[in-house]
Amino acid sequence: MIVGEQKPFDEVWEMVKNHKQLTVFGCNTCVAVCHQGGNKEAEILASLLRMRATQEGVDMDIVNGGIERQCEHPFFESAQEMLEGSEAVLSLACGIGVQFVAEKYMSTPVYPALNTTFLGDVQEDGFFTEKCQACGDCVLGLTGGICPVSRCCKRVLNGPCGGSTNGKCEISKDIDCAWQLVVNRLEALGKLDDYEKIAPVKDWSKDRAGGPRSFKLEGF
Amino acid sequence: MTAATEKIEQPVGPEKPQEIPVDWKANIVAFACHYCAFAAADLAGVMRLSYPSNVKVVRLPCSGKLDHSYILRAFERGIDGVFAAG
Repeated sequence: MIVGEQKPFDEVWEMVKNHKQLTVFGCNTCVAVCHQGGNKEAEILASLLRMRATQEGVDMDIVNGGIERQCEHPFFESAQEMLEGSEAVLSLACGIGVQFVAEKYMSTPVYPALNTTFLGDVQEDGFFTEKCQACGDCVLGLTGGICPVSRCCKRVLNGPCGGSTNGKCEISKDIDCAWQLVVNRLEALGKLDDYEKIAPVKDWSKDRAGGPRSFKLEGF
Repeated sequence: MTAATEKIEQPVGPEKPQEIPVDWKANIVAFACHYCAFAAADLAGVMRLSYPSNVKVVRLPCSGKLDHSYILRAFERGIDGVFAAG
């Protein structure tokens, strides 16, 4: 899922303080799982903004709402009226949702309340880790299911590098060496022979190097 | 209890530090669980024990019903403190 973190409250306030009306709009899928951008968080943020407006003596009508997903047209039906009547929207979605709302409502300013941080998993409640960089050319089949693109700090495809010590990365003692994990896993699978194979140069044109990507299904 | 003491002051901004009146009392909302804290408050009433009039009790079916938004809404409306009991 997509992981995001709420921007510092003062930064959010500075973005929206000059509006007379604001809709704080949650996205109840990915960013709700990480407790940053769901409809509940939208309600909380709207409340905090109302209190800030009162403190600053700013006359601003702040309402909150949300939908299940801000990156797909059909979900917007229930919120259409609310968004059309808004002077400005503060979206708690990831960068995709913010842009989607902005594209749908050309004349309405849309602000991001979150910093979209990475594609990750839920290791435990409240702890999320990066697992994929959407490089467009998956190598997990060769690396024992451990992604060197997202989990190796250097994105080394034939690792580990010389900075790997006791299974940790030289960047930080808190970061596992992805290649140590690859070796451990291949060993567990009895596939250490795979480790000996030299990975060819990766086709980065399928990553961002090829510009913004799109994918179209035939027959839709 | 008079209407005047019931009234919660509407906040007027921008907020400035002000002198605290001598007779000022904090407005407190107490969210109490029906089965324990509220029952205890009820028992206190039966025992004719008094508690300050600046505490307003809101009964919840369970303290698990207490939501972020209840607390924030209370603060938005000028409450000075929230007491969650359960």
